[in-house]
Order: sequence, then structure tokens, then C-alpha cells
Amino acid sequence: MKVSENWLREWVNPNWDTHTLTEALSLAGLEVDGVEAVAGQFTHVVVGHVLSVEKHPDADKLNITQVDVGETEPVQIVCGAKNVVVGMKACCAKVGAVLPSDFKIKKAKLRGVPSHGMLCGATEIGLLDDGVDGLYVLPEDAPVGMDVREYLDLNDRTIDVDLTPNRADCLSVEGLARDLHAISGAPFKVPFTLETIATSGVCSQGVQVKEPAACPKYLGCVVTEFNQKAKTPLWMVQKLQRSGLRTIDLVVDITNYVLLELGQPMHAFDLDTLQGDIQVRMAQAGESFTSLDNKVLTLNEESLVIADDSGVIALAGIMGGLPTSVTDKTSKLFFECAHFAPLAITGKARQYGLHTDSSHRFERGVDPMLPERALNRALQLFTEIAGGVVSEVQAVISKSNLPQPAVIELRRKSIMSRLGVEIEDSKIVQIFESLGFDISTTEDGWKMTAPSYRFDMAIEMDLIEEVGRIFGYNNLPETPVLAPMTLNELPESEQSLLALKTALVQRGYNEVITYSFVEEAKQKLLEPELPYVLLQNPISDDMKAMRTSLFSGLLQSVAYNQNRQQSRVRLFESGLVFYKNDSDPTGATQIPMFGGVIVGNVSASGWDEEERLVDFFDLKGDVETLIRMSHQLANIRFEPCEHPSLHPGQSAAIVKDGKEVGMMGQLHPSLVKPMGVSGKVYLFQIRQDALMTMQVPVAQAVSKFPEVQRDLAFVVDESIAVQALIDSIVAVKSDILNAVELFDIYRGQGVENTQKSIALTLKIQHQDRTLQDEEVDALISEVLASAKQAVNAELR
Amino acid sequence: MQEQLQNIISQAKTAVDSVTDLVALDEIRVQYLGKKGELTSMMKMLGKLSKEERPKAGQIINEAKQMVQGILNAKKRELDDAKLAKQLAEERIDITLPGRQVDLGSLHPVTRTLNRIETLFSKAGFDVETGPEIEDDWHNFEALNIPETHPARAMHDTFYINENTVLRTHTSGVQIRTMEAKNPPLRVIAPGRVYRCDSDQTHTPMFHQVEGLIVEKNASFAQLRTLLIEFLRQFFEDENLKTRFRPSYFPFTEPSAEVDIATDLFGDGRWIEVLGCGMVHPDVLKNVGIDPEEYTGLAFGLGVERLAMLRYNVKDLRQFFENDLRFLQQFK
Repeated sequence: MKVSENWLREWVNPNWDTHTLTEALSLAGLEVDGVEAVAGQFTHVVVGHVLSVEKHPDADKLNITQVDVGETEPVQIVCGAKNVVVGMKACCAKVGAVLPSDFKIKKAKLRGVPSHGMLCGATEIGLLDDGVDGLYVLPEDAPVGMDVREYLDLNDRTIDVDLTPNRADCLSVEGLARDLHAISGAPFKVPFTLETIATSGVCSQGVQVKEPAACPKYLGCVVTEFNQKAKTPLWMVQKLQRSGLRTIDLVVDITNYVLLELGQPMHAFDLDTLQGDIQVRMAQAGESFTSLDNKVLTLNEESLVIADDSGVIALAGIMGGLPTSVTDKTSKLFFECAHFAPLAITGKARQYGLHTDSSHRFERGVDPMLPERALNRALQLFTEIAGGVVSEVQAVISKSNLPQPAVIELRRKSIMSRLGVEIEDSKIVQIFESLGFDISTTEDGWKMTAPSYRFDMAIEMDLIEEVGRIFGYNNLPETPVLAPMTLNELPESEQSLLALKTALVQRGYNEVITYSFVEEAKQKLLEPELPYVLLQNPISDDMKAMRTSLFSGLLQSVAYNQNRQQSRVRLFESGLVFYKNDSDPTGATQIPMFGGVIVGNVSASGWDEEERLVDFFDLKGDVETLIRMSHQLANIRFEPCEHPSLHPGQSAAIVKDGKEVGMMGQLHPSLVKPMGVSGKVYLFQIRQDALMTMQVPVAQAVSKFPEVQRDLAFVVDESIAVQALIDSIVAVKSDILNAVELFDIYRGQGVENTQKSIALTLKIQHQDRTLQDEEVDALISEVLASAKQAVNAELR
Repeated sequence: MQEQLQNIISQAKTAVDSVTDLVALDEIRVQYLGKKGELTSMMKMLGKLSKEERPKAGQIINEAKQMVQGILNAKKRELDDAKLAKQLAEERIDITLPGRQVDLGSLHPVTRTLNRIETLFSKAGFDVETGPEIEDDWHNFEALNIPETHPARAMHDTFYINENTVLRTHTSGVQIRTMEAKNPPLRVIAPGRVYRCDSDQTHTPMFHQVEGLIVEKNASFAQLRTLLIEFLRQFFEDENLKTRFRPSYFPFTEPSAEVDIATDLFGDGRWIEVLGCGMVHPDVLKNVGIDPEEYTGLAFGLGVERLAMLRYNVKDLRQFFENDLRFLQQFK
């Protein structure tokens, strides 16, 4: 909310400069977002009276004026403004004046004619642009020669306060002033006296409230025989403008003024346009309403409306309608001043794409005791300015539905235990007195009755917060949290994600963080099978689908970097993927994944190394490192697989205990272009839970006896996977066979071209004794038989 | 005889002087000192001398042998040295050439920041918890005292999946999940991604928070303030870091505060907002079955990108999610 500093100081004027005042507001929870001077810095600008205007003899667009600036002689000023006329009052910068941006006014000659000053437009003295092409026109009664800063009260600033939703009581000058009083201790005074308005006769407009729970208080009153030509006075225009509102017409300006001053939204109807009684009721479904800003809305049954016999004439607490609005032809007014329950208003404005100063306040809450005062204030202002005959106030009040002031107990011990500071009783009483509470003492502390405008008060903690706020959070003593010293769990069987990340970093990978929502079309290309979750309100169409794989984000990052001359890219990411699953309470299975991508050369800067592009086995080595770190390599298998995103001949499912936990391979060549990448790109992703369980090592005694190595070369069909051959050997289940290691694959002379030779080293050792040749030979025979049976392998 | 020996020595010396390799040197050794060498032969002739002459002659032949051996040894050392010097010269490399290496990647600055935060708090006994990112209405809003009608809902710029599920707008839902699952006393932090439907120069639709929660008997607001001041000073490694706590409003805490910092390290000493905190609202404790009379909760939420930007001098928030290698590689 924006407010004029001077206006605020009319109510409470602590002996603080602007900076101190705004800091104090911020530190009391009324956060000041900005402070802006209402006018630029300038001096020696006074109210001038234009006595004569003559055409400049040598310039079409210039006039020669004589201006009375309150001195013995008028001054001659050459002026180029279009709107300069005889008799007007305007801002006149005298010789010696300094305007904003250090613009100095000196004696000058314009096309040969002497000019002793300058008549100014609004922006030339740093005022808000008034939209006038020319001089800033002052009222006719502006006193000639008076300093314009003083006359227009320009030594003022607009303070922008960003209020939290609980502090709707501060959405007015009065509200801010109340808090400023409590913070500063400076006296609070209402700068006007509210007088009873003389009334004549009952209110001619009938009012029926059909929804007393939603509208527990509705006040109305008719005003006739007023001066239709009356204008909003300058002081009011200024206060409105400095609070961010435009001046519209007297009636609207006054309702806005009261809104800003006291916080009560009001509305005025053109009485002659009303048909029958005012009804406060719920809208009928499909009922239409034309709003003030000329939008036709179709209403639903949940909207509280003000209606007459013709239909809806206002959205209660949000906005009036066009047909019944006040115009310059209006001769009879009906003022509405009501209290609407927040729950009746909340969310309604947003439903219709509206947000008004009125809905903003009613949604958060307005003082239920305010309407009487506010209506009185509005009528007083109106009759002072435009006269008129005022009817008695028509009041429909449902007492039982009006919120009651909260009575809350505050225990002395709670202040210490919650805030952690000892505060004297007298200080507590002083704080709540300054905040307008009624206080009575009890055995344990106090009973506090909140003022009607503090509808945010409900529980003891609310009161404790008030104590803290006014005492000052920054005055609380330094007190460390005290708790028993305990040691945290340190499960060695849990792999740390950071360790996995660090391992990849040490292998040249860079961590990326990509958005969890991706382009739907790309996701469909990568994962056509998996059902995914869609956002209802995405930021843009290409950030609509929750990712089912890390690949889309990784590929997008590859494309981004390849487009910036980075040909060697190695990236990884960890994060959730989301599979649509209606049986989960959140509608999705959310799985932590770990994935990576490589493309380009194997090494970064080999000055004496041969350049080589990465391939499947470079990536597989990295994936195996991750798995090996968790001592899981024995439980994990790589199995040939086909996946739409991967090259069918270069892809593997990563399988743990029979379950697929991840996959890796070359990006399918047909997807290279659609994904915006280039080159052969290799990707992997693996469920984090498959990497997260570590085996705590159980050490085995190191055998003291010699190890026997036997190298065997097998010839198998080209289609047989090396893993299958190794499996067939390990299947022998020998105590003395310690390891089977691949050392060569050979194709060519000596091997038929549908076959390949696989050379393996068998490491054989006994834990307790030296092996006999016969034992080793027996093992080899078993191995050969098993390999022959399983994959038809022949010794080469 | 003496003369003969002198001749042999000087011949040997001349021969050794002209030698340039070890093979030739060894030939000279054989020629003079080998089994059939000249000096060896002279030794053999000793038997022919008289008993009286023998010791004296033996002595001078031996001296001559030692002399020749000395000359040979000196030459051998000289040749060895030259050979080594030659090898060393040949093996000289340009040590300014870069080392052969597996190049180093980088951790994302957000991860780096998260690690720092997690390390600081886990040393103080906090456990790390996580929660789902597609979250139900209860955990993201209702249980946190933000009913459907609450104005704070509009402030959240929520991404909706459907009526009842959203992308979590904060990590505060993990507070609820933790308190539902575990009994107090509790000390946890919950780092993770959060989402708001907002995208411009200073907002990205996804960012990171770390939620902190303490539930203890008699934990006070003063303690929360002390803890956070200490955290900020340690995080920025600035003992003179200034802080101020401004009263604020979150539906799930009361009292609530926003925390500003000011330091000479960055920001020209201006106040910069870095986190929000408060005491867990009694209604929130009740929602998860904790008696607010017995226990109090302290909670805070850190904006990770904000802390990372300040710590690492990152000027544009959006850089965190562009994943430009030239940016990422600065965090090696």
C-alpha cells in the first residue's frame, strides 16, 4: 500500500526523519518497499499569475507573457507552452531557480526577446506526469508569489508499505498510524472531528439482506440536492495521487479517500438508476453482470452480489456495475457502506480475473465496527464540499453474525518460554495499551481483549508475537539451543550421493540442474510408453510435462553447449523422475535418479595423445565405477535391451537382482536431430536406490599359497555375449576359482568369420595349501565342459 | 726393472688417455692386469729372483699394478660420468608442458551451497530428510495452516497438477511429513527443489530451498535467532556479518520473521534478505498430533540460489539453470 508520509504524520508524528521512520516500520513487520519524493528537488518556484499573453514577433510557437510573481513589478517570460492563457495560475521558476537535474534558470533572450524566468510543466519540476501537454495548471485561488513547494505540500514522500496478509488492519493511514504510535510512542491523534450529519427524513432506498452471514452489516443513505459541479479539492487530489490513486470525480474520490484514510471500502450508486429494493444475495448461476470497467461477467452461484429488481448491480465487496454508476448527470446518490465476511469474498475476485482495492481489503478483513464511522466521514466530506440533503442511515445489521472481539489469555511464563526473554509486567501492559487492547490482570498474567480492527488476534501466540514485534526481535538475547548431546547415526551401508557425484566430477563430468518439466513432444520421442503427469498451468508449452527420464534435460544441456562451440560435453544430473500412477496419493511415482551423458573426445587436451571419440565402453566404465563404489558390481548385470531412445545395438539394461534399475547406451541415431544435438551421444540413468546400498567390507584372509593362472581362448559364435561365456565358467562354482578376466577378443585368420575368439585368464588359488596340477586340470575340464554346454564354446 | 715398470706405467697411461669407451678400457686392463697381462707376467717372474731381491721387487711390481689400476679406475669413473651425463642430457624434457590428466569436472554451485548448509547443520546434530516434489494439498497447504481460501495461496504462484496435487511451492511440506513420521525431539533439515509459476530476470520457475525444523521442549524464538545468526556467520565466513530480524508473516509460523544481512563482503553494506523463519504455529503442531503446550517448534527456510549468488558472486539467477559449461566449470 502506498501512503503519503505527510498524511501519516498528520496522525502520528514521531520526531524521526523519513529514513528512521521507514526503518522502524520495517522492523515492526510493516515492510517498507520504497520511498519516493513526490516532486523533484527545486527552489525558487512560486505561484505565478499570467497577466498578459502576446505572440512573439519572430517565433510562431512562442508567446511573451507578463507574470505576476508577487513582487512589485511583473516579470516578462517567453513561453512555448500551448495552454498558456491570460488569467491562469501557473508554477513560475524565477531567475536564480534551480530545477531538478540541476537546471539553473538565468536571464535569457529568446529570439531577441528578454525572458526572466520559466513557466513550468508538471514533469519539469519532477511531479507525476499529469498528462497535460504544457503548463501545470494551479487552482484559481492559489496565492500569488507563494512558494510552490509549500503551496503544493511538495516536501512529501510516498511510502510504499508491503503488508503481509495478516495485517489488513494497516491497509489505511489510520491503521499504519496506530502501529506507528505503538512503535514510536508518539501520540496518536485523529486529525478531524467527526460530527453528526444533519439528516432529513428516512432513507428512501429499501435494503434487504438475504445473506446475513456473508453481510452482517449493510448501511445505506441517500444524498440529494448537492452541487453537481463541485470539484475534488486539491488537497484531496494530492493525497489520492500520492497514495497511488487517480482522481476520477468527487464521489469516487471521496469513497477512495475514505478507503485510504480509514480502510473501509464503499460504493455509491446513481439512485435514479436503481429499481426496487437493494438485495444482498447470492448470484444465480449464469446471471450476467456488467462491471464498472465495462466487462460482461457470467456469475456462478457462489458469488455474493448486490442486486435490485433489474438484476445484479455490484459484485459485493469487489466492484460496482456500469449501469448504476455515478456520472456527471447524477443528481441523487445512494452510498453503500457494508461489512462483508472475508470468506464470502475470498477468491471470488480472482475467479473473475479482478483484483480491486476493495476486494484486497475484504478478503483479508475489515474492521466490522468501522462502517458507521466511515459512512459518517464520507458524508461529512461530501457535504462540506458539495452540500446536499442527507437522509437517515438505513442500517441492516445481524449482530449474531458480526465478529466478536477476541478475548485471549496471556500467561507471563509463556512470554519467557516462547520468546526466550524476561520482560517486565509494566512493559507488557504498555505494549498492549499502545496497541489498543483492553487489559485485565489474572493470576498467571493478563486477559487481553483485542480491538475490533485486530481481527487477526485469536490465540496466545498472536499476543506473544505482538510482544516480540514491539519489543523488537533484534533486542532478544543471544541464547543457544540447549539439547542433550547425542551422536547422529552413521550408517556405513548407505552410499552418499555426494560421493557418487564427486566420483563423476573426478572423471570430468560437470553437474547440471535442469527443470523437472520438459517439452511434451520430446518426452514422447524419448519415452513413448511411459504415462506422464501434465501441469495444468505451465510457464510455457515447452515446460509442460513432468519428466519421466533425465535424458531430455541432459540432451537439452548438451545441445545448449554444443551450440556454444563446446564439442566435448560430459554432464550428469541427479533428481526425481515422475511416472503417472493413479494409485499413489500424489498421482505419481517419484523416483530419485542419477544420470549422465557424454559426447565428443575422450580427453580434453591431449598435446601428445591420440584424439578419440567416446564410445559405449567409455560410458560403461564410468557407470561401473559408480556401481563398484557401492560394492554392487557382482549384483549388477548389463543386459542387451531395446529402448526407443537408444541405439538397438548399443544399449544395455542395468539389472540388479533381476530388476531393471537403469539403462545406458548410444542415443538412437534417429533422435540426434530432433533433440538438437550432434555426434554420437552416450547416455545413462540409474535409480539412486540401486547405488545407495553399500556392503560393509568383510575382510578375507589373504592366501599365502601361490596363485595359478590359466589362459584359455574360446571360439564361440559371433552372437554369443562375452558375459554368457563368463557366466558359464562361473557356474562351475569352484572354491578355488577366484576370478575370470577377459584379456582379448580376436576375429580374423584362424577363426571362422561367423565366430570370434575370446581369451580369458582364470585365476586359481587355494586358501590353505598349494594346488596340485591334477586339481587345476580337473577344474579346467569342468570349465570347458560347462562352456561347451552353455554356449557351444570350443577351445581354440 | 724399475725402469721397465716405469715404461709400462707410462705406456698404460698413454693407452688409457686415448680410450673413449668402456670396452677399449677393459682391453687395456686385460693387456696389463689380465691373467696374461704385462704386469701379471712380471709378477710370475719373481720366482726367478733371489730370496733377498724378491720382497723388494714384489713390492714395486705391486705398486706399479696399483698405479695402473688407479689410472684405469679414474678413467672408468670419467667414462661412467660422461655416459650418465649424456643420458641425462638426452632425457631432458620441457617440464612446462601440461601434465597428462583426466580433466576435472565440477559440482553445480547449488549443490556446493547445499553441501555447505547440510554440513554445517549436520555437525550440529540435524538429520537430512527429503520429500516428494509432486505434493498433495494437505502437506503443501492445509496442514501448514493455509486453507483453500487463504490469501497466501495467491502469493504462492502454484503449479497445479490437478485440484488436489501441486508441485510443492516450498520445502515446508517436509516439516509435516517428518513430524507425522517421527516423534519429537526433532532436528532436521530438508533440502530440495521447489516450484513457483513465475519466470523473469529474478525468478525461475524452479529453485531450491532448505527447510530447517527443531521440535524441542521450551525451544524459544531467541534461540532460533541465535542459531540463524551463527549459521549465517559461518556460511559466509564473516564474523562481523550484521543481521536483522524483521517481523513477517507465514501462515505456518508465529512469530515469523524475515532475516536481512549486511556485510562488507558484498552488497555495499546494504540490507539483503536471505531467509524466512519462525516458531511453528500451534495449529500446525496440532495437525500432526504434537501438543503445542509440551513442545515448541522452530522452523526456517533458506533460499539456496540466493545464498549461492551472494557467496559466489553470481549476478544472474537464470545462469544456474542454463547449464553453460563456461559457467559450471568455474566451480571446479
